[in-house]
Amino acid sequence: MADKLPPIRRDWVSKSLAGFLLGAVLAFGASGLFNALNVGMPLSVRGQLAMWIVPPVWLGVLGGVYFLASGTRAWMWLGIASAIVLGLLFALRQA
Amino acid sequence: MRTDFVRIYKSIHTWTGIITGMALFIAFYAGALTVFKEPLARWVSPPSELHQVSLDEAQQLIVRTLAEHPASAADFTIHLREAEHLPARMSWQIRDADGDDHDESAVRHYLATLDDSGASQMREHQPSDLSSFIDVLHRVVGLPVDSDPNRWVMGVVAALYTLALISGVVVLVPSLVKDFFALRVGKNLKRMWLDAHNVVGIVSLPFHIVMALTSVVFAYHDGIYYLQDQFIHDGKWAGAFQRQRPVAGAMPEHDPATMLAPAQLLASAQAFAPGFAPAMLQYQQVTGARPIVRVWGKDEAAVSPRARGGFLALDPYSGKVINSDFLPGRQDAPNLFISSFFALHMAAFGGTPVQWMYFLLGIAGAWLFYSGNLLWVETRRRKQAKDDVQPPVQRLDTRLMASATIGVCLGCVCGISLAIAGSKWLHVLFGEGIDGTRLLYYGTFFACIAWAFMAGAARAGVHLLWLACALTLAIPLTSLVGALLPGLGLWANTSVASLGVDLTALLGALALAAMARATSRRVEQGRADSVWSAAGVSAR
Repeated sequence: MADKLPPIRRDWVSKSLAGFLLGAVLAFGASGLFNALNVGMPLSVRGQLAMWIVPPVWLGVLGGVYFLASGTRAWMWLGIASAIVLGLLFALRQA
Repeated sequence: MRTDFVRIYKSIHTWTGIITGMALFIAFYAGALTVFKEPLARWVSPPSELHQVSLDEAQQLIVRTLAEHPASAADFTIHLREAEHLPARMSWQIRDADGDDHDESAVRHYLATLDDSGASQMREHQPSDLSSFIDVLHRVVGLPVDSDPNRWVMGVVAALYTLALISGVVVLVPSLVKDFFALRVGKNLKRMWLDAHNVVGIVSLPFHIVMALTSVVFAYHDGIYYLQDQFIHDGKWAGAFQRQRPVAGAMPEHDPATMLAPAQLLASAQAFAPGFAPAMLQYQQVTGARPIVRVWGKDEAAVSPRARGGFLALDPYSGKVINSDFLPGRQDAPNLFISSFFALHMAAFGGTPVQWMYFLLGIAGAWLFYSGNLLWVETRRRKQAKDDVQPPVQRLDTRLMASATIGVCLGCVCGISLAIAGSKWLHVLFGEGIDGTRLLYYGTFFACIAWAFMAGAARAGVHLLWLACALTLAIPLTSLVGALLPGLGLWANTSVASLGVDLTALLGALALAAMARATSRRVEQGRADSVWSAAGVSAR
């Protein structure tokens, strides 16, 4: 069955760049969402938790990006995810 | 899982692993020893010649010392325990304003005690650099100083290590169900090493995930906070930790003579937190407008927010509790969550059994990276065909990688052992002013690397393992000499912590001897078509 699927392209440079750059956007975006959703928590605690969110998300994205079929797909999917996170963040800050 | 994924992630695992393996070996070997930083500091500390002030006299000591040395009032400590590395009841440090926050060499240490007439007696003190040097080696993957750029290097290593963990799991998952715990001991030695690498890796995976992610945070938290302050906190982050400003002129200066005595402060702390075992009192700004005393200690039933425990902040004049956010067992859920990241990295929970578990996991981690490099070499081995008369010449890159792995890993082991044993001898020869820890470590480290390239991995492996065994054995022997021949000026501390260092070193030396014998057998008698054969190397 596996033979019938299109091969996974390696695309080392474009996948790694997508994972590194958009991973950073997603990681900081996720920490921003956490921050915006927990305004009741004191800033000193909320800020520390938000900082701890960044490395696992960033490295998780960078580690998982090679599962995507090609570099173009990687940029597309991570781009969509980033747009959603940033859009939510923007909406929450307006509200 | 599709085989494409396995192949892609295998490339990632190979590259991230081979780049970071040796740096991680140093971080984990030195880190495993750092779990027992305090016992190491106690082992190496010379007997104190100072008169020990009792805790009842501590108040007198504080008042008289503050009167004579006002600089100590900013931040000084009263030690509640008596241990070899605490030569006097009262101590303080003055940090060089230009030094890096993490750089211990920029700190001057002072001690105070009472002389026979009851007057305060102060002296500068140079504690042994040994335990903090081993800590620094582990924090910055073998570099000499814990500075910002060195921590950034460590952060890159830690990030690549995270990718190596993720990719290693992806590669292993498809075969995990059938191969888990399969340790195929037998003729295929590479298969056996691979099985062992996989079992150790998967069993200690949670430990490694914690180490990788916390290390990335330790390297880059300043940068992350800075960016978050710009984009998320709107520039308010810096103000989040500032205590309320005192109203100008409204608060009087304090007279330390009217402070509560240490015993009364401890009674307040005990009443507030019964399970908490205080170890020291850290006084800050006692003559200023906002005096505070932090009662530091541990509670083995709780998570400690820092490696040295947690603290309860009291007002030293009234004994009232100012802050219990950092008191083990009394933190609220979000603070406990944050503290647990630190505690999980630093084994700051569960007491001595957890420390031993971390020590063993750290050593197993070091072995994991060593075996990873070994597998890289074995994968690229040239095998002898049946009709070949001579074993084939092994590839240059595998020979160099084998030498580098042997030289760096065993060089680190040899260097640390010599630095520990040699610290006492240097103290005898040159006194406390000279600190030769770095010289001993790096001298040995680079000499081992040079020898590994000159003699080839096979022979150097045997030599360096025996050297590591001898240098590690020198640790308990130094104590033995100190006990039997006190005239030499050496000493042997007899606390459980200090004897534990001797005993652990003895066991370590035995383990290294066993490894040296096994390696020697392989080098002499094993198959010649390998970088690990003396015959294979001389056939070139």
